[in-house]
Amino acid sequence: MGIINTSRIKSPWIMHFDNSSCNGCDIEVLACLTPLYDVERFGIVNMGNPKHADVLVVTGPVNRRTARVLKNLYAQIPDPKMVIAVGTCACSGGVFHNCYNILGGVDKVIPVDVYVPGCAVKPEAIIDGVVLALQKLSKALGVAK
Amino acid sequence: MNQWWIAIIAIIVAPIIGGFLAGIDRKITARLQGRYGPPIVQPFYDFFKLLGKSRIATSRMQFVWIYGYLVFMITCVVFLVLKLDLLLLIFLLGFAGISFVLGGFSSKSPYSHFGANRELMQILSYEPVLLLMALGVYAQNGSFMISEIVKPGAAPLLPSLWPIFIAVLLVLTIKLRKSPFDLSTSHHGHQELVKGIMTEFSGPYYALITLTEWYEIVLVLGLVALFWANPLWVGIIIALAAFVLELIIDNIAARMTVGWMVKFTWAVGLVLCVLNIAYLYLIKGGA
Amino acid sequence: MDLNWMMAVAILLPLVAGILVFIIRQYHIRGLIVILTAIALIINSILLMLHGPDTYTPTSHYWGLAITILDYAMLLFYIYAGLSLKNWLVLIFALTQIIPLAYWEFGMGASKALEEIKPAFVFDHLSIVMVLVISIVGSLITIFALRYMYDHEHHKEIEKSRQSRFLFWLVMFLGAMNGLVMANNLLWLYFFWEVTTLCCFELIAHDLTKEAINNGARALWMNSIGGTTMILAMIYLFAKGGGTAEMLTLESIIKAGGNQAMLLLPVALMCFTGFIKAAQFPFQTWLLGAMVAPTPVSALLHSSTMVKAGVYLVLRLAPAFAGSYLGIMVAICGAFTFFAASVLAIAQTTGKRVLAYSTIANLGLIIACAGINSPLAIAAAILLIIFHAVSKCLMFLCAGTIEHLVWSREIEDMEGLAEKFPVTTFITAIGILSMFLPPFGMLLGKWLALESVFAVPLAAILFVIASAATMVFWAKWLGRLLQVLPRLGRKFESLSLSYSVPLWLLVLGIFVVGIGVAPVYQRFVSFAVNNVVAATEAFAAGWNIVVPSASVAAGGTGALIGSFPVWPLYIVFGVAIVLPLIFVTVKPGELRPVYLCGEQVGGVDTDEWITTADQKAKLQLGGFYWQGATGEGAVNPWFYTVSIALLVILFAVVVGVSL
Repeated sequence: MGIINTSRIKSPWIMHFDNSSCNGCDIEVLACLTPLYDVERFGIVNMGNPKHADVLVVTGPVNRRTARVLKNLYAQIPDPKMVIAVGTCACSGGVFHNCYNILGGVDKVIPVDVYVPGCAVKPEAIIDGVVLALQKLSKALGVAK
Repeated sequence: MNQWWIAIIAIIVAPIIGGFLAGIDRKITARLQGRYGPPIVQPFYDFFKLLGKSRIATSRMQFVWIYGYLVFMITCVVFLVLKLDLLLLIFLLGFAGISFVLGGFSSKSPYSHFGANRELMQILSYEPVLLLMALGVYAQNGSFMISEIVKPGAAPLLPSLWPIFIAVLLVLTIKLRKSPFDLSTSHHGHQELVKGIMTEFSGPYYALITLTEWYEIVLVLGLVALFWANPLWVGIIIALAAFVLELIIDNIAARMTVGWMVKFTWAVGLVLCVLNIAYLYLIKGGA
Repeated sequence: MDLNWMMAVAILLPLVAGILVFIIRQYHIRGLIVILTAIALIINSILLMLHGPDTYTPTSHYWGLAITILDYAMLLFYIYAGLSLKNWLVLIFALTQIIPLAYWEFGMGASKALEEIKPAFVFDHLSIVMVLVISIVGSLITIFALRYMYDHEHHKEIEKSRQSRFLFWLVMFLGAMNGLVMANNLLWLYFFWEVTTLCCFELIAHDLTKEAINNGARALWMNSIGGTTMILAMIYLFAKGGGTAEMLTLESIIKAGGNQAMLLLPVALMCFTGFIKAAQFPFQTWLLGAMVAPTPVSALLHSSTMVKAGVYLVLRLAPAFAGSYLGIMVAICGAFTFFAASVLAIAQTTGKRVLAYSTIANLGLIIACAGINSPLAIAAAILLIIFHAVSKCLMFLCAGTIEHLVWSREIEDMEGLAEKFPVTTFITAIGILSMFLPPFGMLLGKWLALESVFAVPLAAILFVIASAATMVFWAKWLGRLLQVLPRLGRKFESLSLSYSVPLWLLVLGIFVVGIGVAPVYQRFVSFAVNNVVAATEAFAAGWNIVVPSASVAAGGTGALIGSFPVWPLYIVFGVAIVLPLIFVTVKPGELRPVYLCGEQVGGVDTDEWITTADQKAKLQLGGFYWQGATGEGAVNPWFYTVSIALLVILFAVVVGVSL
């Protein structure tokens, strides 16, 4: 099914989930959608619903309450799916590491495919991260890129 | 046999046209917003990607109704190209819409219920206008058959049915789910109703809905084109112009409430239709 | 079989069987009698159909005498009922019937003339259609009622069984209806009319609660108004006919046609009688009140009997107002009821009330078709009578079955029925879909009606709004049934045979009559249409329904006005709904909980989610009813005003023309 694999790479729909971010990264994620960066060029659409998403973009460190929600949302995304941890906090917990209410990075709860560090992350870096995720996906699917 | 071939070709070609129209829609919308936009074939990428996703379900019945939505929409397109009964076509379109609504009702999800109820209100808004359009065609032609509209030598409908045409443009906005009437499902994420009636459909079944929407675009634009069926290319140009007009309205309008939609379409659409039909009835002296 | 016997079976057998079940108090023997009666009625109706149109007058004069005596007995009973219930409206309208009737028969000496009327019964193809509908659909309801009433009394823990009494009235109803649709003599028509009113009153009041008795009394006095106007019509005809019974038959009224302006007033009065029986606005409340009765009563009243008598009479009289303003007014009144009842149905929260409003709406549609009075419209009306009887009967029996499964009539309590009782839900879904969607018969009828409605544009506009509202309220209800939490490994519920046999037979009937509508129309219904209005066109071609242009006979183009490909659409239905229903399966691993912003608790079969302060809450969903916009409180004042105004205009027009 070559056409389906090609399409998977051409049409990653993302869902953005904010754990307990300071909103710095969130604003940068939204900036990607603005005319300046326009990620829809690559077929990237921001969905509000895990059931329609292919890529879960997570910002902020996981805390004890959001861990449950994150797991639920991840389970509701149909396969194949990718997870991108956006921002230092999402990668490792960042400055919140070892806080009493913080579990740490996103990978403490769900498997992460791509880490995009930065505080806050630049939109270019986020786009890079998505491209990297797509490359990883295409490698997994065996599509030449 | 000829009829079968026309039907088969329509079933194959209609979604391709619809898909490209959806791509053009996204491109023009992006340009209107100062963006570059996705490639024209982007809807096809989305479609095939969705087909390849794994299937997840919240209930069995929701899938059953989606097939109903698709098959009845295809039937409508076949009715259009085979030039059958316009009134019956509109009733069949109603079944398609109701199937979709029932699919939305089939899972215990608040968002999909919101969407389904709003979709019902949309049906309540546009159904009378479409039925009155059929009656207007009858008033003009003395027949409900589409073959009578497109037969060579038949006078174009637009000059005598222009008020109904305006009302049908309103319906077009609702059917294409454009602002200010993108009520039952939102084309963009991050809204209070998530994805409305489509929330619980994912993967291959979302692809089926997309496919149905492509058929729907072709169907409703075909209905618009009927207003100038001789020569048909004028009608097609009018339909495409109407489509671009809808995109512009979509980008300059905010979403309104459901109640406003019903009131507005009835107050404007129905009244235009009624005046049009009353005028035709009076000049033709009945029947 | 001899015609004598066929008439006796059609009219008298239900009475005899009714008396038998009233005397015999054993559940099984009683059931056997009812089932045998049902089978006899069905066979008899088919024999009548094979016999073809005929006329019949009983040889003995005692029948006329018996009917006169029973007439007064019934009216005296109404007076008694009015007095004992202290319901003055019942009393007043009983008096307005008995005094003019007595004055007319004895004061004006009509009784002598009435006895001379020949033939007393005329049954043509229209009557045969009605007899078939009454006998087949009605009989299935009596079978359903056997078990239903048993469960009903069991659930209410009634000590002294009143099932015999109930079945007596129920079975007798069928005989009265059979008589009604065949009667030619107006006085006899009036007699059967009053018997149905009486049966209706007794059946509605059956449970003897305060509400039941009040609603029964309301049905009684409203229909008594209809009886009164019918008597007035008869007196008028008698007086204008110069003291002879010449005009006192349906046949002569119809033959005189719309040519005689003098006939318009009595015809309008009798149409008014029909309006009341058919629960048209503003008289819809009696039929809504009838909902308190056990469900077989509602099924009987709504599908094959009672209200169908009303539309039958209007349809029967259609030739008498052809081409007059009365016809247009009847069409507008009917269309308005169709519109108003459909809008009101949106706001109803009780299943049976939705059904009631839907019945009222469809009756309005049928009456509007009779008013439009073109061959196409009459064809639509008769097809609607048939299809409505089958579909609505199925819906009521489903409502009854559901009521006995969940012990509630509220739509909100039917939430998720698809998971709990899949078989019942499947049948109900078929019933609901057959009420308003293509390719089913009801939509075929509505489609025919819309193709013919342009003759009365005002009715056309009401039609289209009503049609849209119809979609909303049915879809909304079906949606509540379908809303489920997935649970795999469910079981099919088992229903008592007395429930399931009528249900499945009706489902079969919907599909058989629906798919075979064109042959049925050609061989059968077209003759009934010709009884009302001379139809030069055949509306069927092979298996399809087609509407040729009316000008063909006059050397027109032969182009079609419309076409309804019947079996292709049933194939589409099969591909769209039935095949997926059979072949779509869901594996347990594919199930996911619904999207609740990630806050749901546990797996797919729980509907809990975590709310503030880590509290668990249950997800609750309800239907929309838009009561502020379409509720009875919001729109009824308007609807009453308009409908009363329409009736006033109707009579003003008629009186203006007659004078």
